[in-house]
Amino acid sequence: MSPRIPDTHAEAWALLPWIANGRIAPEDREWVETHVQSCAECRAELAAQRMIANQVQRDGATSPAPAASDEQRSFNKLWARIEASESATTPAADARSSVGASRSSRTVRWLAAAVVVQAIGLGVLGMSLRGSEGGKPDFVTVSNVEPRINAPAVRLVFAPGASMSTINTLLAHQGLSIVSGPGASGNFTAVLSADAVATGASAESVATVISKDPNVTFAQPVAR
Amino acid sequence: MSSWSRKVTAVALKSVETAAVRVLNPSNDASERELLERIAKSKDQAAFRTLYGNYYQRLSRLLSRMSVRREDIEEVVNDTFWVVWTKAADFRGASQLSTWIIGIAYRRALNALRRAKIRPVSDEPFDEDSISVESTDAAETDGQWLALGLTRLPVEQRMALELTYTLGHSCEEVAAILDCPVNTVKTRLFRARETLKLLLPELAGMSGETA
Repeated sequence: MSPRIPDTHAEAWALLPWIANGRIAPEDREWVETHVQSCAECRAELAAQRMIANQVQRDGATSPAPAASDEQRSFNKLWARIEASESATTPAADARSSVGASRSSRTVRWLAAAVVVQAIGLGVLGMSLRGSEGGKPDFVTVSNVEPRINAPAVRLVFAPGASMSTINTLLAHQGLSIVSGPGASGNFTAVLSADAVATGASAESVATVISKDPNVTFAQPVAR
Repeated sequence: MSSWSRKVTAVALKSVETAAVRVLNPSNDASERELLERIAKSKDQAAFRTLYGNYYQRLSRLLSRMSVRREDIEEVVNDTFWVVWTKAADFRGASQLSTWIIGIAYRRALNALRRAKIRPVSDEPFDEDSISVESTDAAETDGQWLALGLTRLPVEQRMALELTYTLGHSCEEVAAILDCPVNTVKTRLFRARETLKLLLPELAGMSGETA
């Protein structure tokens, strides 16, 4: 098949921006370049377009870039929105059927981890219930109902590869105890110990610190 | 030959193809498709975070240059990636992944501009006084002229120009992003070029000097 060779000034003129940016279609490149070589008007226009391209690029490169912290904060907001949406449309008890068969292996891993973490959480909660009078925490699920307690709480999602021992160490360092989870999106809720609060820790400060750990993919204070 | 012509000739010798290579590297597209596949198949948050990071700055800058308000930019970016998260499995791969994502952002941005009742082109008269007379750098002054000229373009023309020159897309890719025929893209860029020449006397005179 022989290539199309329009070689008309108007058609070449219209395609000059893509000669300037190097993205002209291969089938057009040769005839347009041939025309430009013989057309002073197109040569001048190509020079003008390259100047504009250069300036636009320079302008784009020097415009202020958003800070990395803005990016993380923005992503956290989006992820919270996704979690809220998936929690609303996916009852936790029926999580497996709603997330689809392709997620089954990941779900099984999370459920296995959840059993262990919940056992730890229940143990801590049980001790807490025995050792205190009144004001008992009354958690339902993190995805549907906010915890009705006074203790500062943080919502967490751990990296899929994080081991139980790593998670336990991480929580212990921050004075956190898992009290609920995982939600439909694999999120847990952890509360701050009284000791941690006494030393000045808050849900916000702990969420900020723990979110920087590579084993944590999401951390946000629970609004009360 | 005027200094303007000499400068333009020098600029013309510099290829701007590097930008296209940087933005549209096929290996980038392949790796990003892998990320999208992980999102579609296993709702992989780490893959989603990586893809988000790949586009956050690029989209933020592009939206800023579309005159989307600063307070709306994050919402448009997140609305765009909400679609990516929920529709990842629907992406058929007929186009570059970047084309798909930027196209979503463009349409969301148009909605944001409509909501904010922002005219996509300024009503202010072309203010020559805003060009700094203090600057001794000719390139800087020319850049100010051009930046001012760009603000005068309707958003459709400006986007065609930005996508072509800032992000280095082909005509066909720009058509896919803007969801319009290829000839419409050529027409929009043609009109943008003519408008800039009318607004920028130096640019208008260049063809005559060089021809």
